This record gives sequence, C-alpha cells and structure tokens, in this order.
Amino acid sequence: MSDLRRGLTVAVAIARKDAISELRGRQAAGSTLFFAAIVLLLFGFALGPDSQRLAEAAPGLLWLAIVFGGLLTMARLHQLEADDGAFEQLALYPVDRRAIYAGKALAGAAAMLVLGGLLLPVVAILYGIPIGAAWLPLLAVVVLGAIGFAAIGTAYAGLTVRMRAREVMLPLLMLPIVAPLLLAAVKATVAALGGDPLGELGSWLQLLVAFDVIMLVVGAGTYGFLLED
Amino acid sequence: MTNVEFVIAAYGVILGGIALYTAFLARRIRIAQEASHRLDGDVDEAR
Amino acid sequence: MKTRMLGFVALIAVVGAAINGLFVVPADLNQGDAQRVMYVHVASAWLAYASFGVTALAGLGYLIRRDLRLDALALAGAEVGVMFTAFAIWGGMMWGKPVWGVYWQWEDPRLTTTALLLALYVGYLLLRRLTDDPARRAARAAVVGLIAAVDIPIVHFSVIWWRGLHQGPTIGDPSKILNPSAPLQFVLALLAMLGAFTLVWVYLLIRRYQLARLEWHLEDDARRGRVEAARRGAVGAVGVEEPAG
Repeated sequence: MSDLRRGLTVAVAIARKDAISELRGRQAAGSTLFFAAIVLLLFGFALGPDSQRLAEAAPGLLWLAIVFGGLLTMARLHQLEADDGAFEQLALYPVDRRAIYAGKALAGAAAMLVLGGLLLPVVAILYGIPIGAAWLPLLAVVVLGAIGFAAIGTAYAGLTVRMRAREVMLPLLMLPIVAPLLLAAVKATVAALGGDPLGELGSWLQLLVAFDVIMLVVGAGTYGFLLED
Repeated sequence: MTNVEFVIAAYGVILGGIALYTAFLARRIRIAQEASHRLDGDVDEAR
Repeated sequence: MKTRMLGFVALIAVVGAAINGLFVVPADLNQGDAQRVMYVHVASAWLAYASFGVTALAGLGYLIRRDLRLDALALAGAEVGVMFTAFAIWGGMMWGKPVWGVYWQWEDPRLTTTALLLALYVGYLLLRRLTDDPARRAARAAVVGLIAAVDIPIVHFSVIWWRGLHQGPTIGDPSKILNPSAPLQFVLALLAMLGAFTLVWVYLLIRRYQLARLEWHLEDDARRGRVEAARRGAVGAVGVEEPAG
C-alpha cells in the first residue's frame, strides 16, 4: 500500500471512529447543540426586543453561537482520547501524523457542519431571517467555516486537552485566531441573505478558503509535534 | 491645537514602560544570578 | 560588557529621538501636537511585529533543532512583543482621541489587527506559564507561535476588506506619516525614533534571553536535584532555597 493510501485509510478510520462515538454519545453532541441554541436565545434577550435590530444582527449572532458551540465540540472530540491515554498510544504508531490530524479534522469539520446546519433554522425562526432562497450559498459558508474552525480547533484541542486550565485555554487560544474566519463568515452570510447586492460574496468565500487551506497546512504540519508530547 | 495631555500620556507611558521593564529585567537577572551562585556554593560545600 | 554599552547607546538614542519628536520638530498643521504621538506609536508597532517574527522563527527553529536556546529567544520575543504591542495600542488611542475624537475606531484596520496581536501573544505567554515540562512547553509554544504568526496576515487582509466601502477618516489617517509626500522633518523624526527603539528592542531581547537562560538553568538544576545529590554524603544539611520568580 502506498503511503498516501495508507494515510487516507488511517484518516478515514479515525474520522469514522469519532463519528461513531459522537452518534453513540448522542447526549454530548445534542447537549452542545442545545447549548448553542440557548445562546442564540439569550442573544435575543440581550439585544432585543426590536426585531429589526435582531434581524440585522442575526448573521453575527449565528456565527458567535457556532463558535461557542464549536469550542465545546472540539474539546469533546479530543477529550475521550485524552482520558484514555490514547494520544500517547497514537504517538507510538508508525503512522503519518498528518493522517491522524486529517482524520481528527475531518471528524471535527463534520461535527461543526452538523452544528451550523442545525442552527440555521433556529436563527431563521428566532430572528426572522429568510434562509430558504439563499440556502446554497449559506451552506457553502457553513461548510467553509466548519472546515476552518475544525482545522485550527483540531490542533489547539490536541494541544490544550491535557493541560491545566484546559477549559479556558482552548477558547483563549482559539478565539483570536478565528477572528478573521468569524468576520468573513458573517460578511458572507449577510451577502448571501441579501442576494449579494455588492457582489462581495465571492471575495469573502475566497478569504474563507484561504483561511481553511492555510490552517489545514499549518495544522497538519505541526500536529506531530503536539503528539510527541 | 495642543492636545498636550495626550502627547504626555503617550510618551510617558511608553518611555516609562520601557524604563520599568528594563529595571524589572535587571532585578530578575540579579536575583537569578544570586540564586545560581548560592546553588554553586551549596554544591561545593556539600561535596 | 557589550550589552551594557548597547543599553547606554540605546538610552541616549531614545532620549535624543524623544526630544526631537517632542520639541524640535514642529507640530502638524492639521493634527497639531497629536502628530508627535505617531513617532512612538509607529515605532512601537513595527517592533511589536518584528518581535513576533522572532518568536515565530525561533519557535520554528526549535521544532527543527530542539535547541532550548531557541525557545528562550522565542520567549524573549513574545514578552518584549507583548509590551510593544500594548504600547502601540496605547499610542494609537492617545492619537485617536484628539484626532478622531474617540479612543477606538473599529474601522481602523491597524488598531483592530494590533488588538488581536495582543490577544494572540498574551495567550502564548499564558500557555507557556501553564506548562511545566521544558520540552513540552517549547514544542507547544512553537506551534502556537507559528499559527499566530500565520494568522496575522489573514487578519490584516480581512479587516481591510471589512472596512471596504466605509471610507476611513481622511484627515486623521495614521498612514499619512508613511506617505512619501509627508514633510521630510516628520519622516526623519519617525526614522530617528524607529532607530532608537530598535536599539532598545535588541537590548531588551538580549536581556530577556539572558534571564530566560538563567532561569532555565536554575529550573534544570532544581529538577536534577544537583544539590541533594551532592549532599547525600553530607550531615545536617540545610534545605535548598527556591529561586524567586
């Protein structure tokens, strides 16, 4: 088997394992989704009750909820290995670190995609946003955002999950990094919802793609060093 | 247009901060050197 | 010691550049004395970015060579960098209030980028503080330093696009001073301050590096129980004092 095939096999195996444990431990994933929905609700209380104002703020609030839920998601995806000491075991395997990273990132992206996808209707209902017509570009934004968040989240969750004060370290490290992702995702969402009057949707999507690619490359490149801990 | 307070605040904090940090480093280096010498002395004594 | 000489030269340079910026150079026609803040603000910002370049590269060097001295350099860069970043933000605010009327301007890409820079590297320093094992600390810090450095250009472009159609304030544009058509005296004053700050920066990096190495040796000695091992033969030994800090 060539190295690439072996790597892909490993990555898929890891992603599948994570997906299965996500589905089995349904409560954890579901709780995170519910948490994000509550956050959206609370934003309503914080910024409302003016519907107009909330509707304008909706894209930003959506992505904040995705980010907060995402932090919990990424931490959870690495917690199981950390508790079982599986990271140390993984480090002993003579397998390409990038494959391990790819598998974890794939699982993370899938989890984020589910989270984001399910929050869209919540936002639509709470803030009166018409997502129906723009569902395709909105989906594209969520996919790209999910990939970017998972790319950096995998690296940082792997790093922080065995640390002291891990609950605060992951958000502390991640939030500044994802600021451009947040910014671009929100702008793209606004553009998509409004029918892209200024033609800027493409640019924002490109920025998201650039972020994703860069973070995936850097994450894959450095993950090995984090495992060797 | 004077805005002198802001200029003073800017230069004061920045230059003062540099001075403070310099002094802070000097102090910590001195403490570390003393601890290191003491450690060397203890090792020699103990031998 | 050569470092001490560098320190003195840097001190003289800074005093000279400050006197120049505060008293010798005339005030700007539009911004008045607030223009003087630009000299320290821009100089601080440049060195903040330079510092984090050092941190990122030294971290990368550590990952490749596993030399803890590179890690010490990375730490020095980050701590000095956080300081200059804070100065840059402070300077930006002290310039912004008189010129824009507000301390903070979301539409100014440099201010927002610099604020994120501060957040990134404070996180870096906290990460280091929470990791005890030197090799693990160095590896983790190197990864975080690299990712942070890679993120900065992305942030830079994204906040510039973000401003997009919002025209920045025209009179109060901080980048005016970098414009080639700016009055020569202003440019020279800025360069003088930049040169002086650079000397200070090198001096502080060296000193912080020295401190890092000293503290590492102490940490290392304590871990290896040097004194205890030597004492194993001695009678009635006094306990080893922990070094301060």
